[in-house]
Amino acid sequence: MTISPDSIIFWQWGTVSLNATIVYTWLVMALLTAISWLVTRRLTTGTKISRWQNLLEVLVTGIRDQIKEVSHQQPGKYLPFVGTLFLFIAMANLLNVVPGYMAPTGSLSTTTALAICVFVAVPIYGIAYEGPLIYLAHYVRPTLLMLPFNIIGEISRTIALAVRLYGNIMSGTVIVAILLSLTPYFFPVVMQLLGLLTGMIQAYIFAILAMVYIASATSAHAEKQGPAKTEN
Amino acid sequence: MSIDWITVSAQIVNFLILVWLLKRFLYQPVIRAMDRREQQIAAQLDQAQAREQNANEKAQEYQAMAKELERTRNAILSDAHEKAEQQRRQLLDEARQEVTKTRDHWHRQFQQEKEEFLNNMRSQISNTVQNIARKALDDLADAELEEQIITSFINRLSSLDQQSQTLLQKASRESSEPVRITSTFKLDSAARKRLTHAIHAHLIDGAIVEYDESSELLCGIALMAGEGQLSWNLADYIQRLGQDVEKALSPAARPETQKE
Repeated sequence: MTISPDSIIFWQWGTVSLNATIVYTWLVMALLTAISWLVTRRLTTGTKISRWQNLLEVLVTGIRDQIKEVSHQQPGKYLPFVGTLFLFIAMANLLNVVPGYMAPTGSLSTTTALAICVFVAVPIYGIAYEGPLIYLAHYVRPTLLMLPFNIIGEISRTIALAVRLYGNIMSGTVIVAILLSLTPYFFPVVMQLLGLLTGMIQAYIFAILAMVYIASATSAHAEKQGPAKTEN
Repeated sequence: MSIDWITVSAQIVNFLILVWLLKRFLYQPVIRAMDRREQQIAAQLDQAQAREQNANEKAQEYQAMAKELERTRNAILSDAHEKAEQQRRQLLDEARQEVTKTRDHWHRQFQQEKEEFLNNMRSQISNTVQNIARKALDDLADAELEEQIITSFINRLSSLDQQSQTLLQKASRESSEPVRITSTFKLDSAARKRLTHAIHAHLIDGAIVEYDESSELLCGIALMAGEGQLSWNLADYIQRLGQDVEKALSPAARPETQKE
């Protein structure tokens, strides 16, 4: 029984191997990009819009609203990062219903990669927002004694982010696989549906947590400036 | 549960590429489209507001124009009213003047006709009275009356005042004609004698006296000496009666009728 798509190797050249994780990631990327490109090719600005455009607008608007709600800031610069996290994870999990497909999010490598992206993005956004000194000063608050704990917290939450997503998706896949051998036909389908729900929830959680971390790195200063930054 | 670090790095790159791709193909176009739509809607709203404002201004303008129109209309109407009133008054005045003129004319005519009628009536009445008196006296004239007439004439001659006497004498002297006694009735010789005697005694001594008859005098005697004349005559009385009657009937004698 294959647990991780990493172990499915399609093509190998020396140490470089093309495994299922990367291939399915490309598939997800291609799908997302193709849909976006096809729809946004014919965007209308009038009052009458196509259903696909409406769907994308609803998605984008929803993500923007969520970011705004969490960060109390303008969502513009966070949207590509956080939105892509959500869309990629959601699409990767949704495709689980396709037979033969294995979610790249079920691979610890993928979730680790995403978690590392968040781990790096948080200080980048924080420094971009308030400068390196003020950002780094967060780590010695309230006292210098808190510095190691802050750093540990930063790392541990990143690991938690990665493992949470991986565990949820992997467990769903594994449970379905186990159930298929025990009670075929009906019960695995229910679990599959449950897996879809779980996948969506995990996508949401991952994106929101990433946003929360970024917001926590930037909002301290924003709160000091008062509620003027929390407009809209 | 193993981490393939090559895969991890590949996934990081993949994720970053996806971020760029979605940013390029999804977020930017969609947000731009939505912004543009919002702008369009805002522009349309602005336009609508501008149009509404314009419409309001137009409406106010039209209201002002309507008010102005109403005012002008009222002015014209009042002007026309005034003119009509003026014309009415003028026409009324003209009509009144016309009426007054006509009435005055009519009044004058009426007065004239009345006057004429009254004149006619006066003269008729006086004529009738004269005729009646003349007729009555004609009928009454007899010898005794004639005698009385002669006596009263002689009395008159005798009681003539100095001035009249002188006038008569002077007239007689200046005329070549003899003194003439005219009477309405025939005078017998005794009467002629008495008369001649009286003339000689009281007026002109030794004057030649001629006698003749005339129906013009009414029941009387007249003495003609040149231009001078002395008479006792009922015609005089009757003439005076006529004059009195006329006087009584004249408008001056009746002021209350004049007042009309």
